[in-house]
Amino acid sequence: MQYASFVIESSDTIQPLSPRPPYEAGDEAFYAHVGSGGKVEADHWMPDAYRAAVLKFVEMHANSELMGVLPERDWIMRAPNLRRKLALTSKIQDEVGHAQLLYRVAEDLGKPRVQMFQDLLDGKTKFHNVFHYPTRSWADVGIIAWLVDAAAIVSQQALRDSSYAPYARTMKKICWEESVHIMHGRDVVLTLMNGTDAQRGMVQEALDRWWGPLMQMHGPPTDPAKDKDLHWQIKAKNNEQLRQEFLSIYVPRILELGLTIPDPGLGYDEAAGRWHYTEPDWVELKSVVTGHGPASQERLEFRRTSFADTQWVRDALLGGAAAAA
Amino acid sequence: MTERIWEVFRQQDEGDPMVHAGNVNAPDDELAVHYAREMYGRRGESHRLWVVARDAITELDDPDLLRPPFDRSHKKPGGYIIKHKLEAAKQRAAAEAGEGSDE
Amino acid sequence: MSEAPAATLDAPAREALAELLLSVADDEFVIGFWDSEWTGIAPMLEEDVATSSIAQDEIGHARALYEMLATLTDGDADRIAYGRDADGFRHAALLNHARGDWAFSVARRYLYETADAVRLAALARSSDEPLAALSTKMRREETYHLQHADTWLRRLSEGASEGRERLVGALGRLWPDAQDVFAPLAAEEELVRSGLLAEPMRALHAEWQARVRPVLEPIVGELPALTPSLDGRTRRNDDFRWLHGELTAVYRSEEGATW
Repeated sequence: MQYASFVIESSDTIQPLSPRPPYEAGDEAFYAHVGSGGKVEADHWMPDAYRAAVLKFVEMHANSELMGVLPERDWIMRAPNLRRKLALTSKIQDEVGHAQLLYRVAEDLGKPRVQMFQDLLDGKTKFHNVFHYPTRSWADVGIIAWLVDAAAIVSQQALRDSSYAPYARTMKKICWEESVHIMHGRDVVLTLMNGTDAQRGMVQEALDRWWGPLMQMHGPPTDPAKDKDLHWQIKAKNNEQLRQEFLSIYVPRILELGLTIPDPGLGYDEAAGRWHYTEPDWVELKSVVTGHGPASQERLEFRRTSFADTQWVRDALLGGAAAAA
Repeated sequence: MTERIWEVFRQQDEGDPMVHAGNVNAPDDELAVHYAREMYGRRGESHRLWVVARDAITELDDPDLLRPPFDRSHKKPGGYIIKHKLEAAKQRAAAEAGEGSDE
Repeated sequence: MSEAPAATLDAPAREALAELLLSVADDEFVIGFWDSEWTGIAPMLEEDVATSSIAQDEIGHARALYEMLATLTDGDADRIAYGRDADGFRHAALLNHARGDWAFSVARRYLYETADAVRLAALARSSDEPLAALSTKMRREETYHLQHADTWLRRLSEGASEGRERLVGALGRLWPDAQDVFAPLAAEEELVRSGLLAEPMRALHAEWQARVRPVLEPIVGELPALTPSLDGRTRRNDDFRWLHGELTAVYRSEEGATW
């Protein structure tokens, strides 16, 4: 962006100044600003630690959208009727769109898109746990679109108030789009539950497999005092709050369909005002997000191959003017 | 690398203001317009789009110009609170009319 | 569409229209499927979204056509789309091929969109009002498709040599099967007689050739003069059989189930 901030001196000469955010440069003033709900734009001064924290957060989110395409992509070809074919293709298209939006936000923080792709493919950056697992049936398509997207939207709604304004704006658009996905997912699940015994069985089997990763998705409870992302108001709620919110909304909706949630330790404690559940396997989570999930390597390899296969197109497109000259 | 960033502005319905919606990466005008349509219009949600190369935009965000410190309330409706003056004027006029009728 | 067109057509005309609708519907359905495979893996994120939209448009057109056919034959759109064997499909041989690399998809899309444009212009003049109206509607979306296909044809042909070579190779391989978008239909005489099809396929074929040769020959050199094959809409290959297996996999897993 060009900056047209002027100081008109007495001699009428005009001199450009550097961008002036609504706070003084310096960690203390910055913290006071974001702590009281103030916003930060891409071209404002920010502490290096803040820039790095936002970039890491957004980059992982972008990676997750891009990798999230793959579990469902197989089913684009197998969608069993015209409406589902359209809805599923559209949903996955939206995920690609979200990747675009988020890589744009990250890129404006200073990291080129191609570098982010390379780091993802090299295993240097991460993506969320749920996208490291295989899909096995059409019921997975419903469960993912309904419950995985629901768990994601619980986080994403909280992010609409992020101190980093470009991210907050993007989250508003993403949340709106995700709400449609959840409706699609729930419709798929409901249709199956109202169908044959085999279809109902398919849903239960899928839920049995996905419940563990879902419970791990928001991450282990963190100490708010040490959570940098909370500290900077990059995110507004902690992991446990998000998980509780997800459970409160979705456990009743799952149970009312006659499904069984595969955690005998799950229940609501009226007195404490919170859900208790069997402690998720945090070791599994750590292992999965560091690339040891059942489908992690296969998916990264698929991405590497697709990316390599289309390198000539990017070269043709972006080197076009020079090459044709 | 000849890729550039294009800002996209959209109009929700006829007559609405153009509002900044986001941005796309593209090598040139032609594809930028295609991509803007995809990211901000594929659901039929926009009546119109403006697609502008980011480097064509001139920005002003200097608070000394946009939020200068001296009183400028005379430039805004909120700078003209007449409630009490109006009350006083009405009361005086009513009182005068009342005196007149006594004569 | 409130009334079935069948009410105003005699049996031979109805049968002819059914064949015509199926051929167009299957073309849109199959190309929509192949191009939807690019979702998530296209060369650039923005291009990924664009290509997916185009593929979805084709599926949407196919759906409208299958629904029109369902009304005509007292059938069900999903059952028509998903309930046939691979040999029951009536798409042009051009669409038998897997999506290939990006150049292959660009080449095939260009050949298809230009042919479809000629066909749609004729269908927009059909004596069957619902078909004419639907064709006019489809043409509005197809304008965008044509622009996009043209953009990519130009970029690859005018750009770096690797892109140009791949494009030239793809166009050469696809040119023979591209003719089959205009493969003669069994009921063609009836279609033309009743005005359902404004002109015979061979006339539309000639029109298409006249339009694309000046654009393609500067890129690939002289293209052989070929006519559509008699089995242009009935011959199938392994690529398509694979696709058919995929698209019917879940549908067939529970016969008659609702999804």
